Amino acid sequence: MSPAGCPHVNSFKVDNWKQNLRLIYQCFVWSGSAETRKRKAKSCICHMCGAHLNRLHSCLYCVFFACFSKKHIHEHAKSKRHNLAIDLLYGGIYCFMCQDYIYDKEMEQIAKEEQRKAWKMQVKAPSFCAAGIGEKYSTWEPTKRELELLRHNPKRRRITSNCTIGLRGLINLGNTCFMNCIVQALTHTPLLRDFFLSDRHKCEMQSNSCLVCEMSQLFQEFYSGHRSPHIPFRLLHLVWTHARHLAGYEQQDAHEFLIAALDVLHRHCKGDARAQRFPLGRSRGWRGVWLWSDGERFLCVSADDNGKKANNPNHCNCIIDQIFTGGLQSDVTCQVCHGVSTTIDPFWDISLDLPGSSTPFWPLSPGGDVTALNGESHSTGATTLMDCLRRFTRPEHLGSSAKIKCSGCHSYQESTKQLTMKKLPIVACFHLKRFEHSAKLRRKITTYVSFPLELDMTPFMASSKESRMNGQYQQTVEAFNNDNKYSLFAVVNHQGTLESGHYTTFIRQHKDQWFKCDDAIITKASIKDVLDSEGYLLFYHKQFLEYE
Amino acid sequence: MVVVFSLFDADRLPNLARSGISPTNTMNKEARLKASINQKLTETGERDRLKELLRAKLTECGWKDQMKAQCKDVIKQKGLEHVTVEDLVVEVTPKGRALVPDSVKKELLQRIRAFLTQHAS
Repeated sequence: MSPAGCPHVNSFKVDNWKQNLRLIYQCFVWSGSAETRKRKAKSCICHMCGAHLNRLHSCLYCVFFACFSKKHIHEHAKSKRHNLAIDLLYGGIYCFMCQDYIYDKEMEQIAKEEQRKAWKMQVKAPSFCAAGIGEKYSTWEPTKRELELLRHNPKRRRITSNCTIGLRGLINLGNTCFMNCIVQALTHTPLLRDFFLSDRHKCEMQSNSCLVCEMSQLFQEFYSGHRSPHIPFRLLHLVWTHARHLAGYEQQDAHEFLIAALDVLHRHCKGDARAQRFPLGRSRGWRGVWLWSDGERFLCVSADDNGKKANNPNHCNCIIDQIFTGGLQSDVTCQVCHGVSTTIDPFWDISLDLPGSSTPFWPLSPGGDVTALNGESHSTGATTLMDCLRRFTRPEHLGSSAKIKCSGCHSYQESTKQLTMKKLPIVACFHLKRFEHSAKLRRKITTYVSFPLELDMTPFMASSKESRMNGQYQQTVEAFNNDNKYSLFAVVNHQGTLESGHYTTFIRQHKDQWFKCDDAIITKASIKDVLDSEGYLLFYHKQFLEYE
Repeated sequence: MVVVFSLFDADRLPNLARSGISPTNTMNKEARLKASINQKLTETGERDRLKELLRAKLTECGWKDQMKAQCKDVIKQKGLEHVTVEDLVVEVTPKGRALVPDSVKKELLQRIRAFLTQHAS
């Protein structure tokens, strides 16, 4: 297998060889169109035994197809002295003189181009789209610049299965555990880590106050290999600058910090240096008006039925939106004409009500799907995350005091509202609403909610609801659809009371190793520790990612 | 000497019956059935779809990584300078076939069956 190629191809590389080779690829190896497929189906059989299996090859010098496994093509090569053949399955070129597959740069280039062309044609076909097959996977090849960088920086770090790279403690700068716990979760979000470690952020801000740059620095610190705890004073300063409501030395809510951080990162990714009023309400997981008791904070209003939103979700393709943004579908059904009005709102997290809060958890509203789809029993035993999600996506009767103007009936009618997932984010963050801030009381709900290591969001999808309504309970397509499966990778916990408490995070390192991050102290944890914990913020990562 | 494969020159491809070679006669019924199924699958593009589905499934379940590791072993054994693709094929194919999970086999068979019932002729 010489990287220099094989000398025997030179007799092939004459006249119009490139075009001929392309035709061979198009007709017999990678057929993109229906007519080439038909021809391939009919003619690609061994000229000696008629079989279509056995690693069929085509002679490059004449029209002859033959089996490789049965040596039929070898006989042809010998008798005719045609030394080159092409593998019709994979497109590799075999040289009978070298007795091996050869890798000629020019031929490889043609092969790659033809493969991509055929793929593009096939992907456009509707049947292909239905099968859920996207961009063709091709292995990474470094660019000239990347090769240069690799040569200039010869130091390599070996990642073994028990390697602790990426783990680092964070010093508490005075009740800053609310920030530390979120930083731990973010630095262990695989896609975010990959984005920052491959230096993808191109800063457009003039000043030194870009939070994305600081995040990038943070990743460098975490993956530097230093084991001493990091002091995130610059991060804290930036947070105070960009999210005034979180400034001060008192304990803040970790969930608020997460939303604020994602928002600032999202804005700085766009290179917008102008100071903006913090547009709260980015998280559309809340339904209804939610007012924080602290005077300085803002109102969050859910989308009203005319589709007007509190903030305008501009279509953004920054890394934060790519990873965290999902789409929440809200269907309002008129009880009279059964017309449905649908809106879709973006969300970064899902806030779930818990049993024991002042809003009733059970029983479900009439029409709700009480029978558990996963065979779980909810009347006995602990509340599960699935229970909370079922409740979140139940049809809710809006009551006679909240009639909606129906465009079908042209009058105010009673209606039901139901939320389902239209588009799932790559990282799904579930916020268990443990802190009750109602007019009457402020308290922490410590009800244990059990959450799984692996989660299937299929029952809560808008598409599942549609097929249920059409009477199809078991979709065979779902069996092949791994798109809704998630794995837990971080859990933020709060210990203590509303007045004085402490945040810690469990994070997943490698596939099945968990660590507890308590400010500066990192300790090994068992899966049981993680799953037995109370749970405040649960971070799940999609198991299977599609290329876009 | 290179023969030009023209897209519209389909009749240039040898008509095997005319030249006297009739491989289909030498094939038994089972082989002919396999050939016709393969033809149908290829024509409709279903073969390519199934191939991609299979590729995805085998990557997901870690089979691809197992095969990569096997290949690395063979290369180490034979030496990077001397190993050929044939060496790898001979050594790795039987292990590869055996290591395909039953669930993947089942899914593919199900899909093929569904396709055949749809296109029964």
